Formats: sequence, structure tokens, C-alpha cells
Amino acid sequence: MSTYGGDSWAREAHHRKRRVDDLMLFPSSSSSSRDASFPSFKKLSNGKYACLVCPHNPILDTPLMLSVHNKGSRHIAAESRVRASELSKRNELHKRIALSEDSTGLSSSDILVQQGKSSGFHNKPLIQKTMKAILETKSNQMENPKFVVAGHKTELGTRSSVCDSKHSPATDGIREPSGNDACEFSNSNEKKLLMTAATNKMLTDWHSEFSECREKELKFTSAGWKRDCHGKWYRDENVEFDSDEEDPNITLR
Amino acid sequence: MYLYSLTLQQAGGVVCATNGNFVGGKTQEIVVARGKTLDLLRPDDAGKLQTLLSVEVFGAIRSLSQFRLTGSQKDYVVVGSDSGRLVILEYSRERNLFHKVHQETFGKSGCRRIVPGQFLAVDPKGRAVMATACEKQKLVYVLNRDAAARLTISSPLEAHKSHTISYSVVGVDCGFDNPVFAAIELDYSEADLDPTGQAAAEAQKHLTFYELDLGLNHVSRKWSEPVDNGANLLVTVPGGGDGPSGVLVCAENFVIYKNQGHPDVRAVIPRRADLPAERGVLVVSAATHRQKSMFFFLLQTEYGDIFKVTLEHEGDRVAELKIKYFDTIPVTCSMCVLKTGFLFAASEFGNHALYQFQAIGEAEDVEASSATLMETEEGFQPVFFQPRGLKNLVRIDQIESLMPIMDMRVMNLFEEETPQVFTLCGRGPRSSLRILRPGLAINEMAVSQLPGTPSAVWTVKKNVNDEFDAYIVVSFVNATLVLSIGETIEEVSDSGFLDTTPSLSVSLLGDDSLMQVHPNGIRHIREDGRINEWKTPGKKTIVKVGSNRLQVVIALSGGELIYFEMDMTGQLMEVEKHEMPGDVACLDIAPVPEGRQRSRFLAVGSFDNTIRILSLDPDDCMQILSVQSVSSPPESLLLLEVQASTGGEDGADHPASVFLNAGLQNGVLFRTVVDMVTGQLSDTRSRFLGLRAPKLFSATVRGRQAMLCLSSRPWLGYIHQGHFLLTPLSYETLEYAASFSSDQCAEGVVAVAGEALRIFTIERLGETFNETVVPLRYTPRKFVLQPKRKHLVIIESDQGAFTAEERDAARKECLEAAGMGENGNAMENGGGDEEEKEDALSDEQYGYPKAESDKWVSCIRVLDPRTGNTTCLLELQENEAAFSLCTVNFHDKEYGTLLAVGTAKGLQFWPKRSLAAGFIHIYRFVEEGKSLELVHKTQVEGIPLALCQFQGRLLAGIGSVLRLYDLGKRRLLRKCENKLFPNTIVSIHTYRDRIYVGDIQESFHYCKYRRDENQLYIFADDSVPRWLTASHHIDFDTMAGADKFGNVYFVRLSQDVSDEIEEDPTGGKIKWEQGKLNGAPNKVEEIVQFHVGDVVTCLQKASLIPGGGECVIYGTVMGSLGALLPFTSREDVDFFSHLEMHMRQEHPPLCGRDHMAFRSAYFPVKDVIDGDLCEQFPTLPPDLQRKIADELDRTPGEILKKLEDVRNKII
Repeated sequence: MSTYGGDSWAREAHHRKRRVDDLMLFPSSSSSSRDASFPSFKKLSNGKYACLVCPHNPILDTPLMLSVHNKGSRHIAAESRVRASELSKRNELHKRIALSEDSTGLSSSDILVQQGKSSGFHNKPLIQKTMKAILETKSNQMENPKFVVAGHKTELGTRSSVCDSKHSPATDGIREPSGNDACEFSNSNEKKLLMTAATNKMLTDWHSEFSECREKELKFTSAGWKRDCHGKWYRDENVEFDSDEEDPNITLR
Repeated sequence: MYLYSLTLQQAGGVVCATNGNFVGGKTQEIVVARGKTLDLLRPDDAGKLQTLLSVEVFGAIRSLSQFRLTGSQKDYVVVGSDSGRLVILEYSRERNLFHKVHQETFGKSGCRRIVPGQFLAVDPKGRAVMATACEKQKLVYVLNRDAAARLTISSPLEAHKSHTISYSVVGVDCGFDNPVFAAIELDYSEADLDPTGQAAAEAQKHLTFYELDLGLNHVSRKWSEPVDNGANLLVTVPGGGDGPSGVLVCAENFVIYKNQGHPDVRAVIPRRADLPAERGVLVVSAATHRQKSMFFFLLQTEYGDIFKVTLEHEGDRVAELKIKYFDTIPVTCSMCVLKTGFLFAASEFGNHALYQFQAIGEAEDVEASSATLMETEEGFQPVFFQPRGLKNLVRIDQIESLMPIMDMRVMNLFEEETPQVFTLCGRGPRSSLRILRPGLAINEMAVSQLPGTPSAVWTVKKNVNDEFDAYIVVSFVNATLVLSIGETIEEVSDSGFLDTTPSLSVSLLGDDSLMQVHPNGIRHIREDGRINEWKTPGKKTIVKVGSNRLQVVIALSGGELIYFEMDMTGQLMEVEKHEMPGDVACLDIAPVPEGRQRSRFLAVGSFDNTIRILSLDPDDCMQILSVQSVSSPPESLLLLEVQASTGGEDGADHPASVFLNAGLQNGVLFRTVVDMVTGQLSDTRSRFLGLRAPKLFSATVRGRQAMLCLSSRPWLGYIHQGHFLLTPLSYETLEYAASFSSDQCAEGVVAVAGEALRIFTIERLGETFNETVVPLRYTPRKFVLQPKRKHLVIIESDQGAFTAEERDAARKECLEAAGMGENGNAMENGGGDEEEKEDALSDEQYGYPKAESDKWVSCIRVLDPRTGNTTCLLELQENEAAFSLCTVNFHDKEYGTLLAVGTAKGLQFWPKRSLAAGFIHIYRFVEEGKSLELVHKTQVEGIPLALCQFQGRLLAGIGSVLRLYDLGKRRLLRKCENKLFPNTIVSIHTYRDRIYVGDIQESFHYCKYRRDENQLYIFADDSVPRWLTASHHIDFDTMAGADKFGNVYFVRLSQDVSDEIEEDPTGGKIKWEQGKLNGAPNKVEEIVQFHVGDVVTCLQKASLIPGGGECVIYGTVMGSLGALLPFTSREDVDFFSHLEMHMRQEHPPLCGRDHMAFRSAYFPVKDVIDGDLCEQFPTLPPDLQRKIADELDRTPGEILKKLEDVRNKII
């Protein structure tokens, strides 16, 4: 109602515009943010809005202002940056999963899960989240081979589309089309297993070599050797050594 | 965590003892204080000491005295304890307990220097008692009796003198004059004020007489005179017509007679010839023997020699004081001469002994006298003597004592059903390794092989009035063998028994006839040789028999029962038949009750898992009175009658009751009460005994019916001090048993096992453990198990003694000298008993000759525990003593398991702790672990008091430094150390990468070793200062410890701190986080706290029963073993904490200490329930039991069952 009486359309129109903006804001935000777990803004308890995409998290009084902000060049730039970093994070994740699975087999994941449970990571959300993600992706991969065995080319196709290009090269190899024969299928299956085994072995070798090296180094540190800033080993003056003790400078070269 | 604390083996050591006539009548008893328990002992007719009563008092007993009111027939006990109260006790024979007559509060609780309780002196006529503190306070109570002849006690009269230390207090015997007390006192007021120390050097001890004026009701210092500064003990001299009155003052090297207005009479105490010149001779204990016409004193020196002291006197004038060598026995803390001709010697360490007097030292021997005392310029001329074998005393019994337990481990080295407890006990020449097994000791009297495998055995008397058994009857598969018992046991054929058939039962029937039941009938052999046979009808055979003196029940195949009764003519008559639904598994008849014609109940067990009680009354013969279903078919039944008795051997009274015991096929013993009137069964209890179905036999123990249960090991159920105990016997598996009585062995058992017949007696009833003793050379310190060969490696060390070679040489010399000097004597003894002579001078009896106090002897011993043989004994040379040891496996070194031993050279404690050097020896096991070979030894700057293996290296606690060593070619290589520990490291435990370090004063420190930095970090410690004496690792975050004030406690690192430390990958937090005031950043929490009241020297987590839960077992200095059992259910915790609460209220401890205050003596008790208090529940009067049970919503029976259950969980 206007102060002067009578029907005032201006106030109503103002409201309408706000409402439309509100509505505009939500679909636009949902489309811009990739999933519900990572919204681009947050409604604060005092009714204001904070943008979560921009690094300095600006606080905006109304949805209108937020929508205006969202259209701004700075926000768009920040958004693209976030998107890029997320992508790289995901790639990294895949890489790690592939590595950890290949080198130590499935049991390691079980141990990881158990450790997580036992040592109470519940109060460490980041670790928890990572673990969950790893677990999910892994279970996906676990299910996929079943489709291969079922022998449906279409399924295989969908699978390849599920797995992105960053998958390990070994699995890439078998994705080459190989006829419709069931026999060939089994062949390719065996081949695949062989190849994974080979890569596994390579990875474990590399890993055990690394841990062996680490173990050797630890042996020397616990025996009282120290390293200077050039990476050279020297004896701690407070520690006693046997006359024929191994010299890490020679052994570890 | 809630724990239930229970003492498994009572303390063996004795603090003080006194003798008197406490029961009344003519007997003599000894009251013994063992720290926190009070025992009443009595030598029985056979000269064995029997414990009549043992009460836990929940307080520290410091002194005991006994007195008798004039004209009374009975003695009272006065107890001085840490309760701040004087307690007078009277033994009640009817109820077998000590009755508190008076309890007078006089001061604060606790052992304090100015609160009386340390000394008690009683007027010899029983008119007054003086309670004295170490310092200042003396209180005198006047004792009297009221019109009803009850003992009354006055308010205390004070005789305090400040700045005065008391050394010894006695009541002076002055007949019926005013009571006088004598005290050795030292006034230090001047010494305290004089900073130059001159007054302290001149301080003088005084002998002071205090007189209690009964008329004025006032105590005054009557007389005080300087006395030798070495005076330490006073002994009352009889007076009032029996003697000259006055006191004997025992001082260093002298005994002086003193009395008011009488010149000193002084005599020198004879010295051992081999005693170093600078050592004095002190009297440590004294006993007086007085008869109407004469009296003498026995004084024992610190070396164990007893001297007989006599006074030549005319009226009140003493003319001569004579000290004559009497005998040598191990050093005692208290001696009691009984009027019955016994000497009870409560040893300072090790077993106590009871001696009988053979003579009273009238024979010629070394003697010092006041008349021949020579004073020269160098002082008084000493008198020398040589200790010899016992001449006046003969040992007739000993009481085992584990005191002090130095180290303990629970292991099952012998692969028996239950683990063994290995304890290092004793001190000096009386030290030993004792292997304890739960169960009663067995004395095997005979084992003889039989021609086949016997299936059963019985013993039978010829006449009911005979004292001893006449025959042992052994049944085989197809024959019966009869052995007659006489001088020897031999086979007979004229007994009338049928020997071509197996037997099912053999027993005495009526007054003088015998009965043999075999599968085809009953053979009744009358006294005159006539034989009556009863044959089974048809093709049926007898399968089971139950009989007593007048009744026989047989079960035929198919389940028919036939009941016979003996008639007036001595004929066995069939009375009744009864058809059971199926085959009978077992049956039993109760013995005929006293004064009755027949027993009323027959118990029949069937294969349908039931037990039936049948009536044998003529009115309702063979009627089923009650049925009990059980978990498995019963194998054997026994009806056990507990006779009503009042004031039996142990003085306790028991209402009559009948217990039905059933051994089930699943190995469970099932026990229920049979109602005397209705035959109803109630209050069932069951206990798993072993893997085999228990067979039950009746036996006699101390004249009372008991039960033998033969499962995979034998058990004995008997009544001890009013409790029914079911205890295993330490013996092999037995097949069949019967009680046995002959003139060589009054209460024995004959049993068959395999092809052998065994006769044995059961010893030391009432004990939890029986022990096997392996003597050791020096005080044992610690031991470890050599893991592969299961040998024990023990380190022993002693201060102020000579090495074995030096001792041997000295002894040889001394024996030669003695032979030369007393040539005639040596000839008389003859050369034949050379061995005996050797034995008579055993070190255990006479102690080691004393050396200078800075001289150490020590050895490392490898011992095979199975045979008790020492396979290797390395004596350490050059004044070195071993203090710690551990086995260690160095990683990637070729030796395998090595032994590390920490030693100190030239250790001195006074005037300041100092040492020449410390060493860590590394030994290699050779000859299959039987022997040791030194690899090398490494010098360190302190005493290595703790050693432990850690990640393939050796951790050593050297003084306040924790150091990690690796094995080098010629010495140990120091790899890493942490110097931040407060005092001295005494214990190290490791688990994964954690190290738990115990400090001597500052409790536990939790450490971590980081390999990548080669550093040791302390990340948590305790906030409470604890003087650690024992420690044990419980779990990753928890340690159990004991401190020197007698507390046991558990500390735990809280879960979040522990997680944080384990998860922190950088270790930055451990490294950089600092605690306050040099402490560690994190603190452990105390989760359990309990005052044991005795210094705990060793802790271990173990289970004493197969398949039982683990509990913490501890051993103490006083030689007791206890257990702390964690509760598994909240209900039990509630139940026992309520029971404990009610017991505290209804049954306050005997010596006047508040129970809660005692258990919280240093720190408030936390989460531990005192099982010892709860187990006193059965000793309460029945109405009180019922009252408590009502409060707990239970019956007294249920409470007893619960107590039994929790005990059975531990042992």
C-alpha cells in the first residue's frame, strides 16, 4: 500500500522483480556449481549471502546483489580457477588410487579403512572425505570387470566412457575393439590380467626398492649416522661405533 | 576398570609373637602377628603347629603383649597397631574368634613417631599396661576387673617426656608393689640445639623407671640412670619372691643386670671366633623361662647364637650373671618358650620353626660370667666360642614362609594343568627358589606295583571298634585281591572274600561282619567265618551298590533297585524292591546318623540326567522325595553329612546338614543341600573340576568326614576353620581311592592309578599352594627365563659376606682348629658321622660369617627348574654384584639369544651412595643353554638397575639415564640416550615402539624412540610421586605399579592423547611440546588405587586356572601372594561394593583401624573391592549375615555362593 493511498504498482513490481531474481539465482547457482556438496554461495544466519567461489568470500546483502556479483568478471574468473583446480585434484586422486591398488593389492585399502575406523579419523573431515572418495572410486572399478565378463560390448562401451582418459595405460590397451567372439573375449581377458600383473610387479618392485632404500637409511640414522646439508653422512659425536661399521657414504651411493 | 582384590597366600613373615594360655585350660598357644593378620597357633600332640585361627585385621600390627588378671585362668592379648588405639582381645573358644574386649583411642592413626603403639609393656601381675611411642609419648592404662569379673580399663595416665626417644620398654616385676615400667631412653633436646654436634656426640642413653602409684592414680619418673650407649633391649627379671627383680639391659657386647639401688652386674656376650674385630654383638630377641624354683633367659644375637643367661642371687642381691652358649638357630624376630617344653622361633626371614628342649644347657659349654670379667687397657676381655650342632634343642616342625618374595613369575613350565608360580624367596644363606603349585601337598608313603590294572580299591576294618583298617581289597577286571595290613602289607587268601570275580563294593556290615558285592550276588562273611550268599534273580547282574553299616541298596541291570537291611540277628534281609524307569548310573546311601537305626535318604542318579532322592523310611520306603535335573548324566554320588558340632578342634560350631555331591560326566561337581526332614534339594552349586567325570569317595580329614573327588586331578573337599574348601591335590591322576588308616599313618588315602597301588597322606590343610624348594646361595635379586630351553637364570648378591671359596677355606681351618683344640670330643663323636657334622654346620642354620660391609658377593646361576639342578654357576669376582638382567636378541648379529647382566663394583650405601664402577656383562648361552660364556663387559658410569630388549637392541637404565646400546665386537656401543629422567631408572618395559620407564621416586614415564632421528622422547609421565618397587605392563596405554608404601596402582594414558601420539607422523608435537616444570607434556591418569598394606615386590598378569580370566598377581615382602581380578559385569561390581559397604559397617576390623582409612592410607582407594573383607562374611554371626543379606535382597547362601564363585575364578 502506498503511503498516499490507492493502488501503487511500483511496490508490487519491486517485489516481483526481487522474487524473480531470487528464483533466477537458485537455478543459475545450481547450474554453475557442479554438485550439491559444493555450493557457490552460502546463506548466512543473518539473511545475507556469502560467495564461496571468490577467494575473499565477499558478503552480499540480498540475493539481487549476489546475482549481480555472480555476473561480475572477477567472480567468473575465480569460478574458472576453482573448476580447473578441482579437475586437477580429481586427476591426482585417480592417479593415486591406481598406484595404491596396483602396488599393494586390495588388502591395503581394507587396512586403510580399518585404520581409519580404529584410530578415529572421524574428527578429521578432510582425511575422511578423501578416504570415502577413494573407496567409492575403487568400488566402481571393482564392479566394472564384471561387465567385461558378461561380454556385452555396449556395456564395455559405457564403461570406457565412465573411465576417463587418465586411467592406467594397461587398461587402455584392452579397450581396443576385438571382435564379437566369446573366445576372443576370454583371450583378451587373460591378456589383460597378464598385463596388469606385469605392471603390478613393476610398481611393487619400484615401491619395495624405495622402501628398502628408506629402511637402509633408517638403519644408518638409528645407528647414529647423520646427514649434513650436502646429503653426506657423518658420525654423531655422541654415538659409539664399531671398528668395522659400514659407511653409508659408500653403501648407499 | 573395577578390580576384586584377594589374598591368595597369607603373609608368612612374623612381626611379633607372644605366648600364653588364650584358650583356657592347660594348653599353651602362640599369638603371631604377620603384618596385617593375627594368627593363633598351637602345637598339637604330635608336635605339629596347627593354626587355630587366622584373622585379617586391616591394619599394621606393631606390637603384641599378653597379660593375665590375678586369679584368672585365661590370658588376654594387647595389640599395638597403627590405628591410634589400644585393643585388648580375648579368644572365644566357642565361636573360634578374637573378641574385642576394649578399644581405647589415644591418637592419630598411622605409624607416627609420637603416637603410641610401637612398644607395649605389661605389668607382670596384669595390673597395668604401658603403650609407648618411638618418641615422647607414654600412656599407662590401669587394668582391673568389675563385680562381674569383667576386665575394665582406666583412662590413660600420661608419662610423656618430649625430645626423648624410646628404644625398649618392659614392665618390671616387683610383686604386688606399685607397678613399675622400665625404658631405655635418649634425650636429644640438647643435641638438637647444638649446631657444633658436640652435644650429639655426647648424647647418653638412660634407663628410666616409671612408677604407677595405684593409690594416687599417677605415674612418676622414679629413677633414671645412664646406661651403656649400645643398649637396645630390656628383659624383665622375675621378682616378688621368685627372683631379684630388676631388668637385664642388653647392649652391644654386654648384658648388664640393673636395678634401683643395686650395683651393675655386667658380663660379656661370647663372640664367634671368626667374627671381625670391628663388629659388635647385639641381642635381637629374648625369651624368659620361669618355673617355681628357677628361671633363665634365652637371648639370641644377630648371628643366630642363643645364650642362656642365669642369675646367681640371694634374695634381692645378684651375685653373678652367667652367659652360656646354648645353641644356634636362624635369627629370629621373636622367641617364645612354652611351658610344655617347646621353643617357637619366629624367624626374621624364611621358615619358622618349633623346637623341643632336649636339655636346658646344664652341660659344660663356653660361658662368660660377671665374676670372671676382665678389664684391661683395651677394654673388656672377650670370650670366644665356636658354633656347633644343636645340642639342647631339636627341631620338630617348621612353618613355611616365603618372606621376603624378591621376584615372582607365573609360568606353566612343566606343562601341567595349572601354571606354577616361581618365586625367589629369602635372604642370604636362607634364600631359595620356591615353585608353588595351587593345591595341597601330598606325602607319598608307599607305591607298589600290582599284577594287572586294578579297577577299584577299598579298605575295610574287621570290627567297627577297630582303630585301623584290616584289609585292602583291590578289584581287577576278573579277580579280587585281598591284602592284609600289618607290619607289612601282604596278600592273604583266608579272608573269606571271593577272589575269582571282580568286586563292586567291599565294606564292613553291622559290627563285625564283612560284605563283598560282586556282579552275581552279595557275599556276607560273618565274624565266625560263616558265609551267606545272595544270588541275583535270573540273568540279571548287579551294576551299582550303595551301602552303609546297616543298609545295602543294589541296582540290577535294567533299573531294578533292591533294598536290604540288617536285622537284629545280623542277617541281611530284603526289604523292598523298586523299579526305576531306566538303568541306574550311580547311587549312594548316607552313613547311619549317630543314635539312629538307618539313614533316611538314598540318592539315585540316572542316565536321563536326573538325580532322585528316595526315602528309606519303613513308612514310605522307596518313595521319591525329590528330583534334581542336572546338565549331564551323573557318574558318582556321595552324600556327605556334616555333623553338628560345637567347639571342635578348631573351636567352630557347625549345624548338622547333609550335602549331596554328584560328579557329572562333563567333569562338573554338583553340590546341593538335602533338607534333613523332607529330602528336598536346595542351594545348588556346581564347579568344573577337570576333563574326566569326577568319582567321589568319602575320606577322613582331622577326624571329620571329607570328600575325595578324582577327576583329571584329585581334589579334596573338607572343612577348614568353619569353611568348606574344595582344593586340588598336587598329585597325578587317580583311578579309585579309599581312606586308609594304619598305625603308621592315621589318616591316609589308598588309591590306584595305572598298575600301581599308592598310599599317601594329605598335608598342610588350609594352604592354597604347596611348594618345592630349591636352595640358593645368596639373596636372589631377579630372574629371567631362557626362552628356548626353559631354564631359569637367577642373579644373587649379598653384602658383607665372603665368597664361597673364602668360606670353604675358613671353615676348613676352623674345623681343624676345633678338632685340635677339643681332640677328646672329636674322638668321642667318632669319624663315622662326618656327614652329619658337615650338615650340622650348614650355612642355612648358622648364617654366613660376616665380612666388611663394603664387600659384595654375587653369582649368576642357570637352573633347570624340572630337576632343580644348577647347570652353571658363575661367581662374580672383584667385589662385583649383579642387580639386573634380561635376555636380548641383537638384530642381525650372529649370537642368537644373549644374556645381559647389570652389575656394580664396590657399591656402598653409607655414608654416601658410591661405587667404583658399573658394568653390563653380555653372556652367551652355550651347551644348549645350560651354561654361560662371557662375550664382553662394558663399563658404565652408574649401576644399571634396569635392562630390557628393544627393537633388537639393549635398553639400559643407568642412574637417571636411559640409554640404547647395540652389540659391538668388544663392547656395547652407545647409540642413543635420554638424560631427562628425574632420579634413578628401576624398571623398563617395552611394547612395539613405546618404552615404559619406571623411576625410583617418580612413577612411570612413557617414551618413544624415533629411528629417523635416533632420539628418545618422553611424551607422558605421572603427576604423583611414587617410589616404585614393582611394575608390570598391562596394555598399550596402561601400566601397573606398586610403591614402597604398600600401594598398588594402575595408570593409563587417555585414549585421545594416545591416538594423537600414534597418529602424529611428523613427531613434531612430541619433540617440541613442553610440559610444565620440566615434566612431560602429557600426564597419565590413575585408574586404580589400592593400599595392600605390605610392600609389593613383584607384579604379573597371569591366569592361575586353565581357561580362566587373567588377573594381576602380586607378591610381597612379607611373603604373601595376592590377586586383583577385573570384574566383567556391572552387576557384580554393584553387588560386591554393597557387600563391602555393609561389611565395613557391621564388621569393623579387629585392631581398630577403619577399613576404608586403611585401604586409602596414602591415596584414596579407587575402583578396587576388598575381597578379604568380603570373605569375612561367613565368620559373622548368622543373624548379622541374614541382616546384610536382606539389605542386599539375597539370602546368606547366595552371598556365600557368590564369594565362592569369584574365588574360583581366580584360583
